[in-house]
Amino acid sequence: MIDKPNLEVGIAGIKLKNPVMTASGTFGYGQEYTPFVDLNRLGAIILKGITLKPKKGNPPPRIIETPSGMLNAIGLQNVGVEILIKEKLPYLKKFNTPVIINISGDTIEEYMELVRRLEEVSKEMGVAGLEVNISCPNVKKGGMTWGTEAKATYKIVSTIRKVTTLPLIVKLTPNVTDIKIIAQAAEEAGADALSLINTLVGMAVDIDSRKPKLANVSGGLSGPAIKPVALWMVWQVFQTVNIPIIGIGGIIKVEDALEFIIAGARAIEIGTANLVNPQTTVEIIEGIEKYLMENNIKDINELVGSMKI
Amino acid sequence: MSTILNKKIKILSKKEVAPNIYLAKLKAPEISQEALPGQFIHIKCSKDNYPLLRRPISIHRIDKEKGEIYILFQIVGEGTKLLSQRAVGDDLDVIGPLGNGFNIYPESKKIMMIGGGIGVAPLLALCEESIRQDKEVRVLIGALKKELIVGEENFRILGAKIDVAADDGSYGYKGLVTDLLEEIITKEGWLPDQIFTCGPKPMLKKIVEISLHSHIDCQVSLEERMGCGIGACLGCVCKIKTKDKKEDKVKYEFKRVCIDGPVFEGSEVVWDD
Repeated sequence: MIDKPNLEVGIAGIKLKNPVMTASGTFGYGQEYTPFVDLNRLGAIILKGITLKPKKGNPPPRIIETPSGMLNAIGLQNVGVEILIKEKLPYLKKFNTPVIINISGDTIEEYMELVRRLEEVSKEMGVAGLEVNISCPNVKKGGMTWGTEAKATYKIVSTIRKVTTLPLIVKLTPNVTDIKIIAQAAEEAGADALSLINTLVGMAVDIDSRKPKLANVSGGLSGPAIKPVALWMVWQVFQTVNIPIIGIGGIIKVEDALEFIIAGARAIEIGTANLVNPQTTVEIIEGIEKYLMENNIKDINELVGSMKI
Repeated sequence: MSTILNKKIKILSKKEVAPNIYLAKLKAPEISQEALPGQFIHIKCSKDNYPLLRRPISIHRIDKEKGEIYILFQIVGEGTKLLSQRAVGDDLDVIGPLGNGFNIYPESKKIMMIGGGIGVAPLLALCEESIRQDKEVRVLIGALKKELIVGEENFRILGAKIDVAADDGSYGYKGLVTDLLEEIITKEGWLPDQIFTCGPKPMLKKIVEISLHSHIDCQVSLEERMGCGIGACLGCVCKIKTKDKKEDKVKYEFKRVCIDGPVFEGSEVVWDD
């Protein structure tokens, strides 16, 4: 048995002590989880999606449980980049875990201004990288529209690439005819890594009132229900691009994380599971280490994309 | 703010006290010490991952000496149904205590509590605390019919004056509990310094109207579909008026029921119809 396997992975030039990250929107600004998780244990923290100006978000109900999952339509409610810099990032500086900022915008100009601002403060505030959200299904403008068409994806990613040297992760939507084409466009435009998948668009209906259960009518489906879809997309994209992939979608236990890694993900993000069991991230890190030891694997990187077919 | 804990706590007893309404006593040595009236616990209702999300349930009573808490809950869906089926002796995975809790002002002498249906749940702990602080407490309980009025005796034992209202006239005052409240204020002339209430939204809205009219401070405990329970996911928001009152139009922002609430100043809530 291996004594101490290597869990360290490199994503977009960011060194992670293990491959477990938090999915944007499910871990707040990190501090909310400190009663349950030592933030130093995490591979990286990805913060709640941020926009240039504060965003109000959608009216409630915003979430509804569905079989093995949930629909959400938060609508990117957030404090805006200035409050993020002033009030949220300073707290995270005391941890030696990379902080990745998930960014959104209505227009290309908004993305650019936001990226420039974050680039400006990145050294001082400890911004390790950016995750570009081109896949939010719950906002009227921008959001997912950037990620459903290859040309739009190329345009937004290449434009952002020009204004920053920060590591760029592009978060992809599964609500497309062929995710491989979008993945390729992002890679060609200069993405350093891809994270997938964001939520699947869905809805639920109240049969008594005949109203949609979400005030926004539609929402994004997440949780164990979407894991097989996410795995298949990770595997497809893994065979298409040369940049690292971060697997997301319904990971609630170590076996789920390992499936994604074997299918080609170099790292994974825990999302919905944080809402249910706030210690999920740490349990999965410990589980991965145990799996590597038991299977005599010296280095997690050996496992990435090792699926036998 | 209280320390938030994630604990496995044992079900010591469980009883169906009214149709589909359950009272359970839980062994919670740490959480009981931290808990305040008006706070809630976030419960994983089953042992496996169905249902996926936790369910927020009000803390009904806090017994710090014995290290126990009580919950009173109604079956409203799959989660609460599975919770009602958990056996005595089972460990429940809970996060708590959560939320801000009710705020009893030291200068208040007379306190009115109004519970609509299962909305009485958080009021018993508040009643106990108010009486401990030597307040004069009156409690109004409203429900659709007699069988759904719960907890009447428990409030009485504590020393509160209690009135009940059944919409169908099967027990106590015939009519809405809000009409009863208006009668107590206007006809009887009993004017409380503070009102605390929990129940269906139309009832809360009406009570806030009455309280504003009579210049009585009123705190309401709200409910919303909830995700994390700790302020991270922004799933459980409600509309709260913002301070900026320059324009005529009411401005609002979305506040989290789980951490900014569940208790809000009644006058600050924007009631959507």
